[in-house]
Amino acid sequence: MPNIRYANMAHWKTIPYRKIDNFREFYYEDNSNSAYYSDWDNILKYQSALGFDGIELAPWDLADLLPLFGSPENFTQFAKERGVTVIGMFHGAHASHDQGHFDEAVRSGREAVDTIVKFGGTYMNTCPTQNYFGTGPLSRDEVQQCAKVMNEIGRYATDHGVKLGLHNEFFCAINLQNHRELIESTDPNLVHYCIDTAQIAIMGEDLLTFYNDYHERISTFHLKDTASAKQPDSVRYAQDPEITDDGRRWFWEPGQGELDLKGLYHALRQHGFKGWMSIEYDGSPDLLASMAMTRYYLDNELRPIYD
Amino acid sequence: MNTDAIAISLDLINRHYQEPNRNRYESRYFWEELYTLIAASGFSAIEMPYEPVWQFGGRSGVPFNRYCVNTKYESAAKYRAVLSASGIGRVTGISFDPNLFMRNDNLNFYFGATGHFANEALAHAADMGADYLAISPSPYYGRIAQYHPDLEAQKEAFTQRTIELLEGLAAKAEALGVTLVLRNEYWSLFGGDRLFPLLDALPDSVKLDVDTANLFVAGVSATHFIEAQIGRIGCVHLTDTNFVDTQHVWKTPNPEFPDHHATQIFRDPGTGSVDLPHIAALLDRLNYQGPVICSARQTRDPFRALLRTRALLNQLQK
Repeated sequence: MPNIRYANMAHWKTIPYRKIDNFREFYYEDNSNSAYYSDWDNILKYQSALGFDGIELAPWDLADLLPLFGSPENFTQFAKERGVTVIGMFHGAHASHDQGHFDEAVRSGREAVDTIVKFGGTYMNTCPTQNYFGTGPLSRDEVQQCAKVMNEIGRYATDHGVKLGLHNEFFCAINLQNHRELIESTDPNLVHYCIDTAQIAIMGEDLLTFYNDYHERISTFHLKDTASAKQPDSVRYAQDPEITDDGRRWFWEPGQGELDLKGLYHALRQHGFKGWMSIEYDGSPDLLASMAMTRYYLDNELRPIYD
Repeated sequence: MNTDAIAISLDLINRHYQEPNRNRYESRYFWEELYTLIAASGFSAIEMPYEPVWQFGGRSGVPFNRYCVNTKYESAAKYRAVLSASGIGRVTGISFDPNLFMRNDNLNFYFGATGHFANEALAHAADMGADYLAISPSPYYGRIAQYHPDLEAQKEAFTQRTIELLEGLAAKAEALGVTLVLRNEYWSLFGGDRLFPLLDALPDSVKLDVDTANLFVAGVSATHFIEAQIGRIGCVHLTDTNFVDTQHVWKTPNPEFPDHHATQIFRDPGTGSVDLPHIAALLDRLNYQGPVICSARQTRDPFRALLRTRALLNQLQK
C-alpha cells in the first residue's frame, strides 16, 4: 500500500446523467464530445483508469447529484463499483467569525459532517469563513470566534470519524496576517489542516516552510500549482478575485506552475506523510486532460521521490 | 414577422453543465466579446436569465443578476451602455427559474428564497428596461417530489403559496411597468393545461409565455394552444425539439436529461421538429405584436447556434 493515495476534488460542473445506456446514439445526435462528459459512469471510470481512486465532493453539487442517485449511499456504491472511494467533502463555514452566527455555523458544519458520513467519507476540508472583501480585516476576537466554531465542528466531526481540515483560500478573511493565529488557536486534536498548495502560496506563505512548521497538523492536501505566488493585498482583498476578468488562471496542474512540488515531496518523505491527497483542477478548460497530465507528472516526477 | 425585433436568449451559453472549455463562461471577457458576436449575427435584442447562484461564492463574471452587474459595471445603466456600445440596444426580457431553491424538505426555505430573488429579478428587469419577467411558476415536478414525496397531498397548499408569491410579484410588476409572464414548461407542477387554473387565479396583468418546444414535448399542439390563448400571451419563445415525452419524463428529478434515454431535448432553432415557420405565420395572422425570443438552450455550440438561428429567421422573412 503506498503512503499517498490520490483523489480528485470534484470540479466537474453538473453531470446530468447517472449512466448513459445509449451512448452511440447520443453521440450521433451532434457528433461532438458532449456525450463524453455527461454521465457519472464515465467520469468515475476516467478517474479510475488514471489512478485516482478517490473523489472529494463539492457541497454545491449535491442538489443535482442526489436526485440522480436517490441517496449518498447509492452514489458511494456506484463509485465503488467503478473503483472510486468517496473520501470526503469540502465545506464553507460561512460567517464563523460572527459571534451572532455561532449556532448557525455549528449547525451547518454538523450537517455537513452527517452528509459526509452518509457518503462514507472521512475528510471535511473547511474554509473557515467568507471572503476578505466586505468582511476583513478581522479583529482578534473574530479570529478567536472562528477558532471556537472550528473546534466545535471539529469535535463533532472527530466523534463521527471525520477529520476537519482547515482549508484557506487566498481571498478569505482569514488571510496572511491571521492564518497561523487561527491554526494555533484551534485544538490540534479536533482541527487539522488541509494544505491547498497554490492557495497558501498565493496568499503569501512559503509552501515548504509552512508544511515543515505544521506537518503534524496536516490531514490532507489539495495539490495544485500556481505561477502567481505572494500576491499583494490589493489583489487578495479585492472583490471576487477568484475568477479573473481577463481569464488569467491562478491555478495550474502540478508541474505547470512554479511551486517547488519536488521539494514538498522530499518534505513529505522526511515527515512520513500518509493519507489521501486530492488533486484540484479549478480553472482548467479540460478536466480529463488535466487529470492525465497530472498522472504523468505524479508518476514520473513526484512519486519517485515519495510514494 | 418582423424578425429585426426578435431577441436571442443568452441561455444559449451553458452555465451549469460539464463540457470542455466552459470555464471561459465565468469571466467577463467572454461575455463582452459575445455581445459583439450576437450583434454581428443580426440580433440587437437579448433576453437574460436571472441566476442568483452567481452571487454566491464571489463569482461575479456571469452577468446574470444585480450583484454581478453592479460588481462589474457599478450599475444597470452602465451595463446597458456597454451592451449598447456592443450593438445590443435592448434587453427584451429577464427569465427566472426557482430550481436552485428546491434543495431540501423545507418549503419555507423554498418560498422564502424564491420570493426574495424573484423580486430581485423583477427589479432588475425594470432597471434593464425589459418588457417582461418570465418566471417558471414551479421547480421541476420531480425535484419537488424528491424532497417532498407527499407532493400530491401537498399540491393544493403548494399551489396556494405559489399564487400568493405571484400575486405579490404581479402587483410590483405593474408598478414597475414590467409584464409578469408565466412560463409553460412540460416538467412543471403547472405544465401544459395545469397552468391555466394558476393563471386564472392571478390578475389579468399576468400573461402567458408560449414556449414552442415545451408544448411539443408535452404533446400539445402549438397551433391550437396559441389560437386559444392569443388574448393572454405575453411573450413567445421560438424553441425547437425532437422529443415527445411519452414516458412521464416530466415527473423525474432531472427532466431535461431523460434518465433512461440520453438526448438533447432542446435543439438549436430550425434543427428540430417544431414547425417554427408555421408558428411564425400563425402569430402574424393573429396579429400578435408582443415580444418574440429565440432560444438555443442546450446547444452544443453557441456560436453555431447563433448562426443557425439567424438562418432560420432569414427563412421566415421570405
